[in-house]
Amino acid sequence: MSTVHKGLTVTVTLDEQKIPYVNGLLSEYRKDLRLYQEKYRKSLPGTFFISWLTLPSQVYQDRETLPARILLLTSYVGSKSRHLKELAAFLAPQLRQVFSQSVEFPSGEPSEEKLVQFLNQKSIPNTFYSGFKFISTAEVEQEAQLKSEVLSYMQKQESLGPASEPATVKKAIESFVSSHPKLHWASGGIPFSSQNKVQMLWPLAAFGLLMLASIVSLIALLFTDALLFRWLAWIFPVFLLITGALFLLLRLNENNPHEPSPELSDEKVREIVALETNPVINEMTVIAPLKKGWVRRVFLALTLKLVGLVAYFAYIPTVHTARWLQMDKGKRLVFIANFDNLSEAYAHDFVDSERRSMNMAVIFSHAFGFPATRWLVHKQYNHRSEYMKGVRAHQKITQFWYSYNRDLSVENLKRNRAFREGLFKKMDDPAIKDWLLTI
Amino acid sequence: MSKLEKEDIQGLLVRGYGNLPSAKYLLYTGSQRKETLDFILQLIPKITPASEKPANEALHLAFTYEGLAFLELPSPVLDSFCREFKEGMAELQRQFVLGDTGENAPQHWDWGNEPLHFLLLVYGKDENQLNETLAGIRQLSDAKGITELYALPTGLLQGQKEHFGFRDDISRPIIRELLSHPPQDPDSTFPAGEFIMGYDNLYDELAPSPTVPPQLDPNNKLPEHRDDSNLKDLGKNGCYLVFRQMKQHVPTFWEYMKANSSDPSAAIGLASKMVGRWPDGSPLTLCPFQPDPSQSDTNDFEYWEQDKAGLKCPIGAHIRRTNPRDHLVTEKSRKDSLEMAAKHRMLRKGRPYGPPLTPELDPEIIMQKADDGKERGLHFICLVTDIRRQFEFVQNNWVNFHKFGGLENDADPIIGNHYQNERRKTDSFSIPEYPVRKIHSSLPNFTHIKGGAYFFFPGIRALQYLTDND
Repeated sequence: MSTVHKGLTVTVTLDEQKIPYVNGLLSEYRKDLRLYQEKYRKSLPGTFFISWLTLPSQVYQDRETLPARILLLTSYVGSKSRHLKELAAFLAPQLRQVFSQSVEFPSGEPSEEKLVQFLNQKSIPNTFYSGFKFISTAEVEQEAQLKSEVLSYMQKQESLGPASEPATVKKAIESFVSSHPKLHWASGGIPFSSQNKVQMLWPLAAFGLLMLASIVSLIALLFTDALLFRWLAWIFPVFLLITGALFLLLRLNENNPHEPSPELSDEKVREIVALETNPVINEMTVIAPLKKGWVRRVFLALTLKLVGLVAYFAYIPTVHTARWLQMDKGKRLVFIANFDNLSEAYAHDFVDSERRSMNMAVIFSHAFGFPATRWLVHKQYNHRSEYMKGVRAHQKITQFWYSYNRDLSVENLKRNRAFREGLFKKMDDPAIKDWLLTI
Repeated sequence: MSKLEKEDIQGLLVRGYGNLPSAKYLLYTGSQRKETLDFILQLIPKITPASEKPANEALHLAFTYEGLAFLELPSPVLDSFCREFKEGMAELQRQFVLGDTGENAPQHWDWGNEPLHFLLLVYGKDENQLNETLAGIRQLSDAKGITELYALPTGLLQGQKEHFGFRDDISRPIIRELLSHPPQDPDSTFPAGEFIMGYDNLYDELAPSPTVPPQLDPNNKLPEHRDDSNLKDLGKNGCYLVFRQMKQHVPTFWEYMKANSSDPSAAIGLASKMVGRWPDGSPLTLCPFQPDPSQSDTNDFEYWEQDKAGLKCPIGAHIRRTNPRDHLVTEKSRKDSLEMAAKHRMLRKGRPYGPPLTPELDPEIIMQKADDGKERGLHFICLVTDIRRQFEFVQNNWVNFHKFGGLENDADPIIGNHYQNERRKTDSFSIPEYPVRKIHSSLPNFTHIKGGAYFFFPGIRALQYLTDND
């Protein structure tokens, strides 16, 4: 068991002519959602976000047409099988109605079990980021309520003023929480905290150990000729060699003339931003074919694997969840993010910081129309404007979008968690004062 | 570093005209294209370039998108302007982005909904000089059948204050290219391209600028676009001008402070927490407990080291939102915060309007005065090269976003739109304190938008091109 956040991406091909019909269905579900928001929340208790859209065909390398598709992208907490069952149980009619438009869907009316199998078969891997790691859907509300109750309590406590000792204040809060019937749950620790970290970090640890073992074996080979060392010794040099060769090939590819994205018409931009009307959280889907050259596909695939390994340490301000993946044999890059406020503001999080614009280039520089780079991360010309143009040019309209949490920003969620984490934890006075600022 | 073409830049971009205290902003609509072009043509020689420091009067001219369309600029030229400018401030999506909803919605504005064509900003060394200049302009406009829709008065207030009684306009970005000896620290100044089109900005690129295909500039008035030799740069040496008339409810403001404080001094303290500076201008970050007149002009302070938690100057205070300096809660380093904040600055050029509630603008006296029923406020004017990145970003993401900096229900306490509905509550103000933050609720709107529009503020060659376009 864990409360690690994950992303499910299901995709099937679609006859381009059926796009308007599927879009119509998805738009209807979006309208229904306004009426049945609570029903969704109750019936999909492990699901944070759902984006469901159609993708028209796109042209790769000026000659290959990549097929039209249906994409279902969800963010969830817990196990994949439980999530699939949850989706199939609640959204079965909608899933059948939409996916049956694809030739890849099983004939007839598949049972829920078959639907789960179908979703599983059609799911593809992604590199996933969460800005509020390890918080479950239920905890979103619990922790908000906890903080709100404690705040009300503190505002009524005339005896706890500026002259009170930090330890006294903390003790009073903890007594209040322990004795409050609705907050008693917070007296225990945060569940799965160690398991969560292990689950997220073990692939990185395994990778690091493998590389370390290889380096050690290289050294050991100076003293011994054991078979295990001989095998292990290959791994690190081969990894370095492949990465180095890919870098060189990429650098050569970067000399191709930059082809900017055609600017999106004002009408199209209006159509996209017209859906960004939620007061706190909004969504963005960007899908672009890659730039010419097989090296782009391979380099991006390797990059996404490595980014996935370090996702635990990644930080993107104001982003609830984000994911990157490749489709159609690596020829398309898919990026989807759920973020605070509007897409214009969110896009600035990338381009306004020199460091982050370098990080962003590691992935986006492979996509068609995105800014040209040198040695992957170094800017060429008009980096900022080309990036903003690239995002808009490849941004897709998400016909159906659902969010479990609609009212709390990432920073709100993190502060609520920080407050809970500090409860019943030993702290010195300065630490208590810092902790009290999270209320 | 490129040299500024000051002869081609309208002087307002480099001066505030403190020596010309009288000013009026005139909003016009033309009825006949040819007459309007004649009118503009006759005004061009009177426009004050940045190369001059006028002692008596100054005149500046800016156009709305409707104005440029009325002058029949060719479609490829009109299309090349940014979407925000083309849509205009009162458009539905722009309303949403700017938070101009409810009481602040354009349907309640005095101006800005009707087709405005251009704006004249007229400055004089005194009222006589101003009236003389205005009389000359009116004679010309009457002769050409140009309708003056509004003449918005201004009046500088004592001690560089605004109507609530606080020192204003202390933090101003400095254009690097204007300094004869630019400082070693590049963070303290800004490249011209942040505020003037045709020069490098903070991203080492040109801001998006309106352009003209060469065949539409047969008289070769315009310079070539640096990034595209197939286009002429209509924006070079110009910028966008954002104008918002903001009515200030001075009695409401001080009534709220008094109602939520134990005594007048605490009321001033609360108002100062909302602003982020004491009424005399001294910053709370440096003087958290009482004002220090010696710090009235101080702008050299930061938050990352001095006040990260907002215990001195609250995270949601007005000055921390409009210029977060080196600390944004969502950033993990001082460097990232600095980089982020720098990319959303504006050159403010507005002036107050209406009579002060009390001439000395001392908060202790203001708060004792009853409402005199007179209108007063601020003509907020800012100059930017990118409306969306600079003005709209700040207004949307920092001023009105109620989740700014990890807050929950707090829009900017001074200029934010305060309201509650089923999806959003924006009328709180949180003050971080030990042992627990203090929350002030049900803030009324202390300001109201009464009008506004986006203008193109062209360079002088571009002005000549506009009148030469037949």
